[in-house]
Amino acid sequence: MSVFTMDEAEREAVLVPELAALTERHRATCRPYRRILDAIGAVPPYERLMDLPWLPVRLFKTHELRSVPQEQVFRVLTSSGTTGQQPSQVYLDREAAAAQTRMLAATLRVVLGERRLPMLVVDSRSVVRDPTLSARGAGVLGMMNFGRDHTFVLDEQGRVDAEAVKGFLERHGSRRFLIFGFTFMVWLWLRDLGADLSQGVLIHSGGWKRLAEQAVDNAEFRRRLAAECGLTRVHNFYGMVEQIGTIFLEGPHGDGLYCPDFANVVIRDPETWQEAPNGVPGLIEVVSTLPTSYPGHVLLTEDLGVVRGVDDGAWPGKRFEVLGRLPRAEARGCSDTMGQVG
Amino acid sequence: MRDTSGADTGATGAGDGTSQARGGTSQARGGASQAGGGAVVRVRFPWEERVPVEVLLGQVRGRLEVGDRRVREFLAEFGRRLLRPTLARRHPELGSLGFFLRPSELARTIEGMAGEHVRVPRGLIFHIPPANVDTVFVYSWALSALMGNRNVVRLSPRSGAVAEAIVETLQEALREADPVVGQTQRIISYEREAEAVTTALSAACDLRVVWGGDRTVQDVRRYPLPPHARDLVFPDRSSFAVIRAAAWLCAPRATRVSVAEGFVNDTYWFDQAACSSPRTVFWVGAEVDCDAARADFIDHVSRVVTARGWGVDAAMAVEKRVSTYGLAAEGVAQSVEFRGNALANVTLAAADQAPRRWLGAGTFAHARLGSPAELAGLVERRDQTMTHYGFGRPELEELARALAGPGVDRMVPVGSALSFHRVWDGVDLPAEFTRLVTVVR
Repeated sequence: MSVFTMDEAEREAVLVPELAALTERHRATCRPYRRILDAIGAVPPYERLMDLPWLPVRLFKTHELRSVPQEQVFRVLTSSGTTGQQPSQVYLDREAAAAQTRMLAATLRVVLGERRLPMLVVDSRSVVRDPTLSARGAGVLGMMNFGRDHTFVLDEQGRVDAEAVKGFLERHGSRRFLIFGFTFMVWLWLRDLGADLSQGVLIHSGGWKRLAEQAVDNAEFRRRLAAECGLTRVHNFYGMVEQIGTIFLEGPHGDGLYCPDFANVVIRDPETWQEAPNGVPGLIEVVSTLPTSYPGHVLLTEDLGVVRGVDDGAWPGKRFEVLGRLPRAEARGCSDTMGQVG
Repeated sequence: MRDTSGADTGATGAGDGTSQARGGTSQARGGASQAGGGAVVRVRFPWEERVPVEVLLGQVRGRLEVGDRRVREFLAEFGRRLLRPTLARRHPELGSLGFFLRPSELARTIEGMAGEHVRVPRGLIFHIPPANVDTVFVYSWALSALMGNRNVVRLSPRSGAVAEAIVETLQEALREADPVVGQTQRIISYEREAEAVTTALSAACDLRVVWGGDRTVQDVRRYPLPPHARDLVFPDRSSFAVIRAAAWLCAPRATRVSVAEGFVNDTYWFDQAACSSPRTVFWVGAEVDCDAARADFIDHVSRVVTARGWGVDAAMAVEKRVSTYGLAAEGVAQSVEFRGNALANVTLAAADQAPRRWLGAGTFAHARLGSPAELAGLVERRDQTMTHYGFGRPELEELARALAGPGVDRMVPVGSALSFHRVWDGVDLPAEFTRLVTVVR
């Protein structure tokens, strides 16, 4: 059963009441959230997605926002994000943790199928062994749940382990298998393998900044992988720890990221804060019904994006593109001469 | 300009001048591992060159006296050039700097130094100004030079267009100046990773002047000074405004407009991050008056901001949401109201919760006080400038005495928050830049 089924009108009709109810539920159970809503004068009814009050995602780095009692917290997720910043803290109870795992699986199943596939990881095993797990390591570890016979493309020294890859492809290369890696790692290492990856399904994430610096966009990325490795099933995704379990997945034709049925995006004009028309870039607001244990159901990210189309692609709903990160605000203050800016 | 001082630079550049010039940056970066030797700095004034820090220190020679005529003439010439319409239009903040350097102002500063003791320069002063307020370094350097010191100013390699304009103007003014100015004054740049440079300059100076945040001050203190030398530090400060509600409500419209304009200058000029820019506005009076005055004040400020075309970019707009929502989450803000992205107003739940940290350009916390005397329980050591409207001088002086313990170094009318004065942060700068010799006969 696919989670990419609802067209935009249906999605809005289903999500708005659920998210409005979540807003009031978090208002009742999370005191800092209630204080924010009171201070900005946010009151129901919320009739459209647009009307729902949003939180800046960075608040999860600066404040403890939790809608369940401490003793019900089953897992605290942290992500380092940009260097020098506090990590985000996301509090999951059993129910929310189960829902995020279940819905992530349901989302990936759309492109991976029912059964666990043999998995090639475009990284080194050491990234998942580091006791202070990096965001990259956590991403790899999380993704490993969806594969079997995990084989790492790089050895412990970060060099291509040609023997391991060769062995993997001998065992599994003639039937469908999963490849996972961060976008720039995939670009760096996968093309050089000289292997036939035509049966592979590539899932990748982690942003385009380093590739954009080399003037490589998504179209070029896909074209070169197809030409050099025969890899045509390629799915980028966009997601964040503050909305764990919700990923926006690239459709089969590479024409944008799609929203699963329990989520959506709103592109907001950062000047008027109204919804930007399709084709006009703005800040990405992500909504999801999964965050039930913390008020992360309507979040304004610091990423810029643009809606490319609605109900006109391989899957229904909005299809959008992430354009990159908004730079941090810098002040011309008297502070921190050599410490920070000097 | 570059070759007039061939005698000075020739000696240093002759040996390996070309490789120095090429390797300057990387050498400076690697300087940390070298025990002072060979770390190269980029000289910006009096001329452009790259020299090892030891050579630089050898170059800074020459004797000046307090209020030296040759320095005064140079500073006045420099000030005149800053006031040229083309430059002032492009960088309006240079206008106030030019004003500060008028001959009459310089003369007043020197006259204020007279006394029973003989005043002499301190010697070599090492200045570390903030990277992101381009004009600050000129004020402290100019006062120090006026007091007859030799100076080395460390300008951030990432300083902006205004700093470039300043350095160019200084170089122009130098053409008219006595050679002693070029001999005694240096503006340099080096990467902060070049610890050898900071080490060498610290070890050589008689006074080190550190502007910037608490972190910078702590960081710079790791570098030892000679036993007789000391630091003059300007750490993180915060500032607030106090307005008497009744006075605001009774003021003619034209006055309210001009006070709002002054307030906007105080706050938006450096994205409200200058230490003297108010972050909180305390309203003094009865609740009903304060509510009415605040609402009217915000309307006026909003109109000025709109008329001036002050805007903020998306990053700043998000920053303001993060900070104000954060205050709300903590229970510090009772309400948060946005007038577009450029102006955000936070009503504090209690006056004693006034935030000291920067909340993003154009973000104001408001609280009510029954009387100005209540400030005595609220101010902290880090509070620097109190801008005021609607209070008489005796009242302000009484308040200054009442606040004496914890904080507040300046009380100035709304609109003057950013005007530099030779007394800053409670410190008489010309006095700090000199030494008194007791002569008894």
